[in-house]
Amino acid sequence: MTTDELPVQPPVAIQPPAVAEPAESTARGIPAFVGQVVSGVALIILLGLHMVAQHFVVPTGLRFYDDVIAWLRNPVVIVLEVAFLAFVTYHALLGVRAVLFDFGFSERTEGRITTALTVVGIATVVYGVILFAAILGAA
Amino acid sequence: MTDTATELRTTRVVVSRRKEGDDPATPRHDTYDVAVGPSSTILDALVTIRRGQDATLTFRHSCFHASCGTCGMRVNGREGLACVTPVPDGDEVVVEPLANLPVISDLVVDMNVFYDEFDEAGRPLMRTSELVSGGGIAEGIEELVRFEDCIECGICLSACPVAGSDPRYVGPAALAAAWRVVEEPRGADPGPVIRLMDDEQAAWRCHLAWECSEACPSGVDPAGAIMRLRRAAAAARVRRLFSFGGNR
Amino acid sequence: MAMSSAEPRRPASGPARRRGVVGWFDPRGRRLGGLAFIVNRLTGLGLVLYLYLHLGILSLLVQGPGAWDTFVDIALSPPFLLLDVVLLTGMLIHGLNGIRVGLVGLGFVASRQRALLISLMVVAAVVALVGAIRIFGD
Repeated sequence: MTTDELPVQPPVAIQPPAVAEPAESTARGIPAFVGQVVSGVALIILLGLHMVAQHFVVPTGLRFYDDVIAWLRNPVVIVLEVAFLAFVTYHALLGVRAVLFDFGFSERTEGRITTALTVVGIATVVYGVILFAAILGAA
Repeated sequence: MTDTATELRTTRVVVSRRKEGDDPATPRHDTYDVAVGPSSTILDALVTIRRGQDATLTFRHSCFHASCGTCGMRVNGREGLACVTPVPDGDEVVVEPLANLPVISDLVVDMNVFYDEFDEAGRPLMRTSELVSGGGIAEGIEELVRFEDCIECGICLSACPVAGSDPRYVGPAALAAAWRVVEEPRGADPGPVIRLMDDEQAAWRCHLAWECSEACPSGVDPAGAIMRLRRAAAAARVRRLFSFGGNR
Repeated sequence: MAMSSAEPRRPASGPARRRGVVGWFDPRGRRLGGLAFIVNRLTGLGLVLYLYLHLGILSLLVQGPGAWDTFVDIALSPPFLLLDVVLLTGMLIHGLNGIRVGLVGLGFVASRQRALLISLMVVAAVVALVGAIRIFGD
């Protein structure tokens, strides 16, 4: 029997997976993870600036009152510090949300957690801005 | 105690026990002294117990060579296949069922929970088996399905801290299977799979503990697959963003 | 024997015995990544607490130089400086691990994540050590 006479093996049936189109896209919003990464990158820069300007270049590591006030009168410092506060609050509370969400609460509870943390976040930034104004007003 | 002639030593095997009707809140452990050799596995020890000391001890196994994926359990808290996990040095070893799955009896867990994750993902992820020519299919089975290296042992699910606290997470195995479809679509459109897994309970739920990949006895690397799936999902989102509502 | 096409038979089993949140802290069987996961959470929560503590203490500035400068004198005492070192270490661990999480979590260098984690933690340790020497040296 020559090789030509060998029975022809049928080709192996490789079928594509039966991928069904989901009834609706399950992608919900921009993933919180991306928000955490973006704010994290911003924080590395802003926290770096904060640490260098407020602590590392200060011989004692902490500014005394007159030095703090003089420093805070610089509008660039105020903008950077408020931006730092906004990003650090967002990053921190999003992190708290991620931890709480891993507890496996109901979606209703998770909704409440998100609402509560949003309120806390806004209140934190508002408190910070008022604090800046009050410090400069009292000086 | 070591017998120098046979290199046998006695080790105490502490086994988690649970039978139907037992209160899961009060776990019970039984201890057995077993003679083991330098090449003894946990499965060897369990078989020895069952044969010589306690026939009521239940555990699941089949192939004895890390192929069937049925003997996944936790040994001293770490997941592994009992058939290839050596009995560790020391006087005592604790053997428990896989975590994050319901226990049916002793070391036997209900794998349906694990398989259900594939159902939740729409079960588009299992490929139709490539049939060996001349091979048949057992009566009553419509088709054979299996996905690549994964032996469906459930070890990754047991090792994952996120799946450990939240049952809504799709889990490492289903996500790894999804990535295989994206990585090697074999003519299929991977778009639906990417969109399916681009979800806060799917690809974005992982917190990079990497326990699944470290624990996987079959080299599937579910964590790496999840990260690559995320990249594909993010790229698809960017493409959709710039398509102005047109094609995906 | 043909299998029935009815609902598959489900064995009798209780609810899944999940590790739960307590399981995050179970050191048994955990590996490097699992350790990084829990350390990232603990340092993160610690830094959140510190954020609010910091914002509270800053309100002393409204009370004028007396209150603030008294606080600064206290904050420069050795026990507080030790807390500064703890804070710096926590920031470094969380921030540098965050670089790994951000990069790997978006699908980059996923196959090198372990080496990345170890490298970044070595950097954290070195910078924390230098920081500690500087904090107490000054």
